[in-house]
Amino acid sequence: MSEQNSLTYAKVNEDVIRMLDKPTVKWLALFLPVLGFVGFGMFCFLYQVYTGLGVAGYRHPVFWGVYITDFVFWVGIAHSGTLISAILYLFRASFRVSIYRIAEAMTVFAVLTAGLFPIIHLGRPWFFYWLFPYPNQRELWVNFKSPLLWDVFAVSTYLTVSSVFFFVGMIPDIAAIRDKVKEVPRKIAYTILSLGWKGSNWEWLHYSRAYLYFAAFATPLVLSVHSVVSWDFAMANLPGWHTTIFAPYFVAGAIFSGLGMVITLTIPIRKIFALEDYITLDNYDGMAKMIILTSLIVGYAYGVEFFMAWYSGSPAEWGQFYYRVTGEYALFYWIMVVCNVLIPIPLWFKSVRRNIKALFIISIFINIGMWFERFNIIVISLSQGFEPGAWGIYKVSWVEMGITVGSFAWFFMFFLIFIKTLPAISIAELKEILPVPKKEAKHHG
Amino acid sequence: MSQDKKGGLKRRDFLKIIGVAGGTAAVAGGCSNPAEQIIPYVIPPEGIIPGVPNWYASTCRECPAGCGIIVKNREGRAIKVEGNPKNPINMGGSCAEGQAMLQGLYNPDRIRSPLSRSDLGRLEPQGWDNAQKMLTEKIEEVRKKGGNGRIVFLSDHNEGTLGNLIGDWMSALGGKHLTYEAYSYEPLKEANRIVFGIDKIPTYNIDKTKYLLSFGADFIETWLSPTLYARQFSEMHGYKDKSMGKFVHVEPRASLTGVNADEWVSIKPGTEAVLALGIANVIVSEGMSANGGGGFAGLLGAYTPEKVSSVTDVPVDTIKEIAGEFSSMQPSLAIGGGIANTSTNATETLVAINILNYVAGNVGQTIDFGNALTLSGVSTFKEISSLVDSMSKGEVDLLFIYNVNPVFTLPRSLGFEDALGKVPYVVSFSSFMDETTEKANLILPDSTTLESWGDFIPDARVHGLIQPVMTPVFNTRSTGDVILSVTAQLEGLKGRYTQVSYYDYLRDSWKRVWTSVTGGGDFEMFWNTALENGGIYRDVTPVQVSASGNISGVSFGEPEFTGDGDFYFMAYPSYKYYDGRGANKPWLQELPDAITTGVWDSWVEMHPDTAKRLGVKLGDFVKIESPYGTIETQAYVYEGIRPDTLAVMIGQGHTSYGRYAKDRGVNPLSILPVSTDKITGSFAWLTTKVKASGTGRNAQFVQTQYTTTQHDRDVAQMVTLTELEHGLHHEEHEEPDFYPPIEYDRYHWGMSIDLQKCTGCGACITACYAENNIPFVGKELVAKRRDMAWLRIDRFFEKSDNKAGFETRFLPMLCQQCNNAPCEPVCPVFATYHNPEGLNGMIYNRCVGTRYCSNNCTYSVRKFNWFSYKIPDPLNWQYNPDVTVRDKGVMEKCTFCVQRIIYAKDQAKDKGRDVLDGEFQVACQQSCASGAIEFGNLKDPESRVSKLSHDERGYRVLNQLNTQPNITYLKKVKWDKA
Repeated sequence: MSEQNSLTYAKVNEDVIRMLDKPTVKWLALFLPVLGFVGFGMFCFLYQVYTGLGVAGYRHPVFWGVYITDFVFWVGIAHSGTLISAILYLFRASFRVSIYRIAEAMTVFAVLTAGLFPIIHLGRPWFFYWLFPYPNQRELWVNFKSPLLWDVFAVSTYLTVSSVFFFVGMIPDIAAIRDKVKEVPRKIAYTILSLGWKGSNWEWLHYSRAYLYFAAFATPLVLSVHSVVSWDFAMANLPGWHTTIFAPYFVAGAIFSGLGMVITLTIPIRKIFALEDYITLDNYDGMAKMIILTSLIVGYAYGVEFFMAWYSGSPAEWGQFYYRVTGEYALFYWIMVVCNVLIPIPLWFKSVRRNIKALFIISIFINIGMWFERFNIIVISLSQGFEPGAWGIYKVSWVEMGITVGSFAWFFMFFLIFIKTLPAISIAELKEILPVPKKEAKHHG
Repeated sequence: MSQDKKGGLKRRDFLKIIGVAGGTAAVAGGCSNPAEQIIPYVIPPEGIIPGVPNWYASTCRECPAGCGIIVKNREGRAIKVEGNPKNPINMGGSCAEGQAMLQGLYNPDRIRSPLSRSDLGRLEPQGWDNAQKMLTEKIEEVRKKGGNGRIVFLSDHNEGTLGNLIGDWMSALGGKHLTYEAYSYEPLKEANRIVFGIDKIPTYNIDKTKYLLSFGADFIETWLSPTLYARQFSEMHGYKDKSMGKFVHVEPRASLTGVNADEWVSIKPGTEAVLALGIANVIVSEGMSANGGGGFAGLLGAYTPEKVSSVTDVPVDTIKEIAGEFSSMQPSLAIGGGIANTSTNATETLVAINILNYVAGNVGQTIDFGNALTLSGVSTFKEISSLVDSMSKGEVDLLFIYNVNPVFTLPRSLGFEDALGKVPYVVSFSSFMDETTEKANLILPDSTTLESWGDFIPDARVHGLIQPVMTPVFNTRSTGDVILSVTAQLEGLKGRYTQVSYYDYLRDSWKRVWTSVTGGGDFEMFWNTALENGGIYRDVTPVQVSASGNISGVSFGEPEFTGDGDFYFMAYPSYKYYDGRGANKPWLQELPDAITTGVWDSWVEMHPDTAKRLGVKLGDFVKIESPYGTIETQAYVYEGIRPDTLAVMIGQGHTSYGRYAKDRGVNPLSILPVSTDKITGSFAWLTTKVKASGTGRNAQFVQTQYTTTQHDRDVAQMVTLTELEHGLHHEEHEEPDFYPPIEYDRYHWGMSIDLQKCTGCGACITACYAENNIPFVGKELVAKRRDMAWLRIDRFFEKSDNKAGFETRFLPMLCQQCNNAPCEPVCPVFATYHNPEGLNGMIYNRCVGTRYCSNNCTYSVRKFNWFSYKIPDPLNWQYNPDVTVRDKGVMEKCTFCVQRIIYAKDQAKDKGRDVLDGEFQVACQQSCASGAIEFGNLKDPESRVSKLSHDERGYRVLNQLNTQPNITYLKKVKWDKA
């Protein structure tokens, strides 16, 4: 950690808490448009509820479209948070320290965003709670055979665990802020949130144990959530959906897209808050390597899908994959391949991995590519199912676009609030990797 | 308002406040579902038991075929029309038009009261008394002027009591009664006179033939009596006892009838006569004729196959092959006279066809002159033309229009519209504001067939009765009643009719029928039996005819064409709109055309080569120009038409006729010349050569199926006759399954669909709409594939080694009610589930609308309510009270008419037994004239559907996915024998 040599405990405190200062005009200039887009998204949704789902672009037989694409996309984004914070914690990968808080926040907010879409896409969203197994006088129960129900559990579990993990990790930092701030309302808020943390030895002992357990508990969720989401498709019999490869393929894709989003988010934050000392090039280097790995897995999955379609000898399977690369949606397919397989290739070079601008551009393309991957899987498969008489083409409507844009705004709204209210970088953990301050700080042990 | 002494709130003020508050609440609550009120019968009408339907037998008047119908009435409203099984014409079957009758009855654009034209030229509502008084005065005025034939009554073909009454009335007034039918088949009549000496349109016995050769007779669509012939065709062409008949269709375009043929032979327009004579020549010259050609041998000699081939574009081999089969596969039958193919030598063509039938020995066997159609008696085109002539000369002072729309159905170039303007006073009895009626001075809206008394005689066998199945929806009056009450006010005619109402008049007229049929007995009994049966049906003895051989005067010349364009222009009648009268019924507009699957519009069919030449593709607008006008419509590229021919359907392009018909598509009649058949002078449709060019404009061609082939999915399967002769290896083995098979107790409902019998006519689709309250959604939503049909008919054009190079397969696709249904496990809330009788239940109230069931449906048969579909009053009166009207956000699909199953089970339970096989029918099965659909209990090994489920042709669509459907399809059979 050579770059962090100049850091001291005091400076870490100061720098992180400085981020929580009064919102600047710049922040407001970002926040207000974001609120506007959230409002527009809400308007679109209300319009859809009032008029009927027909205002979305669905066309028989494509009954899932942009909303489910958005759902899978946001669940995917939610992945890296837990990966970076929990799995890398277990592996003691120190490069996670500076970015894990942002990644965790991203996870929570992405799940919050993702969770909206299954409701938005319902024909009768006002009955969404029927998907929960709650006792009722009509003695109606849910169908545990349905992958959608597994989704309900997977996503709600993930939201619970990642929120708890997010919050627990922040307790010592909130206590540090509590000690620093003076304004009464903030003081009270942070006092409550810090749960009376005093930083005693005894507390630290239990805290680090608990954190380890949470990390261990959250880790399998990284695999399970997206596996379950992939089963929404894999459990169906539709050509293009019904494959065994989906769980690992989706998990790898989720990590891939999640890392892309972490990079997309941290680079501007690093710049704006001058956190170059905290989020270092080494950190990015590490993430870029993981992007290479997951990009390879995703690329491999694309290839295997074609091989299996051909090898199955099923005209429906082969027809589906032939259609993906040649049909009306071929452009989207090739966007996906270029963004997810070809554009990450330069990351094999160290100079690219350590070039912030290049990384930012590549990460944007990964986000786009992964959105289209989900779109392609969902929409193209549905367009050409088993029965040729029913084939049809889906066209996105302005309402769906509005809600999608609104969902990004919704996510960024939480994020903007987060960086102004909670410590975006872990004060406590960062200090752990700093050299212990000594009276003569000439050499370190 | 006096002050309340005690102060405070007065009762009146209180009510005011409540009223305002309530109103505000109602406005604010506009987002929620409106409150629905259930109003009980305070004094229940006699004979109506809530929940129990009454059925009334009647006669369909949607086209001149005159099929019998029975109409289901629930709580005073007609809700469903079905074919009358007792009527020998349709025997329970029906067509889409018949099913859609109800949307004529409940059409929101019906004329709701009498209207008269004011001095300002506007039509203003009138009371009936006043309106009838105006008519009486007008008649008196014209009568005072004197002169015969100044009053003309132009009605549709109305053989029966009303026709007689009109005729009698006109003779009393010194007027003329003309019956106008757009499709009058005059050449058919004349050709029979020339060859057989009998100027009648006979009934053909297609069911008794082994080999059917049609020269453009679209008998599944509009020709003479389509429901009758669809049923007969199914008898003849269905696979049974290891054999079936063969059907060859000769036409420049493969119409719906054409694509149902084993062979479609493309022929140069107007040259059918030459081909018929050529075939007859081969039969005679090769000694295959039973009668040696009779007196025709000499005439036929000139038509050698080579010469015929060069004139008709039909290969020599084909001519010889048809000749061989036509004479060897006895009895055979050749028919012709389809409207679309009526050229200037139409009569000659039919004479040639008659000769062909004669030399093959078919007359008497398969042509029945005993049961002649009354359509033979309608006014000729010459009479109609001369009417137009005298109208434009001002020789007609008063014109009555009844059930016809000549402004629309006559070619514009005949000038009926202008001539109508010269008639001082026009009275229309139409219930709809059509193109003719909107020019009328007085409109006395007639009650529709379903609201009035009447009768109709379509042919010699059937005298159908028409009875009202409900009280009139609007302030309309039956025209018979109007005539009677007006006549009672006329000078000197007061005592002409003793009857006060048309009902009495009808009964008195039926008393004569009664004496002629029974010769006595109890009239009331006779009358009631006839009402129950929908009329009286009698056997007629076949009339034997022989060919005179003297056909001098028939020259078999070349057809004449007007215009100098490159393309023959074919205006073909529509099996959905007939001559245009069906266009105001949304069910028919939304019923996908069998060939193109297009809806709510017109299109021009063209060959791919033509499209390439014109540089247009599907959906491009094409300008079609004749010397008489121009139309612009979208292209549909189709292999089943000659490259030198363009075809546009008749029936669309209304400029009036209600919201569903107005400004929709184009009317091909508007560019036709007044060309006539040389011999009869009847109107000839196929006489124009047009210019065509792309306009550069393109729009989505709105259709319900975007694919044309099966893409090797093998969903619509076919088997050859040879394979069937050798015996099919019929697989029936249990697939290994994770779950134990489902055990059914008493009922396991199943269906079978015979693809060999299905003609793709779509009557089942409309029947399903009517039975199950399926909303029509309109063109804009069909364009987004949001049509709600529970039953669709997939049509696939497959490459073939036949003469056309392609074959057409129709696959009715509906919920397969799988035993291992992919939709069931994926629903998170059990909104779709498996019921104990093998049905996939769909609980609308439980559905939250995840739509996963549809995504996982192998057959894509589920439909989603994207919106709450509101249909205008009073169309919604038709709703079946036994079926839920679905709201936005829920899935729906075919239920196997579960309401009918439940009703049948209830009835059986009352009798203490199980439901018997065939005791009830589901809506699609009931409507199918071809009998392609069977429904019943698979648990009963003796039921028809049970036996068919083990038929050697049986297969289940996409069964390799182990969905275990309850629908068995019987493979289409292909002729592959010489």
